[in-house]
Amino acid sequence: MKSSFPKQFIANTLALFCVWLVLSGKYDNFHLVLGFMVSCGVAWLNTGFPHSPFHHFPWARVVLYSPWLFLRVVESSLHLTKLILNPSLPIKPILITYRSHLRHRGAIVLLGNSVTLTPGTITVEVNGNAFLVHAIDETAGKDLTTGRMERQLAWVFQEDTNQR
Amino acid sequence: MVILAVGLILFGVFFLVVAAIGTLRLPDVFTRSHAVSLTDSLGAICVLAGLSIYQGFGINMLKILVVLVLLLLLNPVIAHATVRAAYRAGVKPQTEEDQ
Repeated sequence: MKSSFPKQFIANTLALFCVWLVLSGKYDNFHLVLGFMVSCGVAWLNTGFPHSPFHHFPWARVVLYSPWLFLRVVESSLHLTKLILNPSLPIKPILITYRSHLRHRGAIVLLGNSVTLTPGTITVEVNGNAFLVHAIDETAGKDLTTGRMERQLAWVFQEDTNQR
Repeated sequence: MVILAVGLILFGVFFLVVAAIGTLRLPDVFTRSHAVSLTDSLGAICVLAGLSIYQGFGINMLKILVVLVLLLLLNPVIAHATVRAAYRAGVKPQTEEDQ
């Protein structure tokens, strides 16, 4: 991977320097130069490592996906709040096994993360493409079982899930 | 602006209280972790959004947004780790049949 060395190094340095700018909040020459030197050093230390699952990660479409996820999170939060505050506690916990057709490793990670972030469903185990999800009742697990969440992620990663 | 911020924070605190009630009321580790995930979804989002509005535009708002993004990425990981550890240790989730 000698050819991608300078590009990856520059990208890492810029990303680290942005984090430095946000976190330090001081913009005099001393802190800017110090931050730039530290970012260069950390980026240089990290050049030898193989690519993470975040290589070829469609950041722009993930950002577009997040408002949809946010609405789902709000909706299921209200559903869960109703369940908890109901005096008779009408919960019907179920375990759902779900086989996903997503191929990108980042897509699997994002699906597991979205499922757990949504209140009422938690990813218990992930084995390759097979998900074991605990849901507090059937309504909470509906986004997953109907494949709605997976379709959104298939759009994010530009994969087709029509082979089912 | 301050009224909006306080409103958002109170709204978030309401969900934190509901999550605490849920943690006490629900029967086993799996359902309790659902209640806990209420805190990082609506609870933390509303409280942090309220705080960032209270701070106004500036470096502090950006810092709070960084905290929010990290929270939304890392809290599901923690919840998943807890639940998977319980599952692998042999805790069986209560389902409809045995209630």
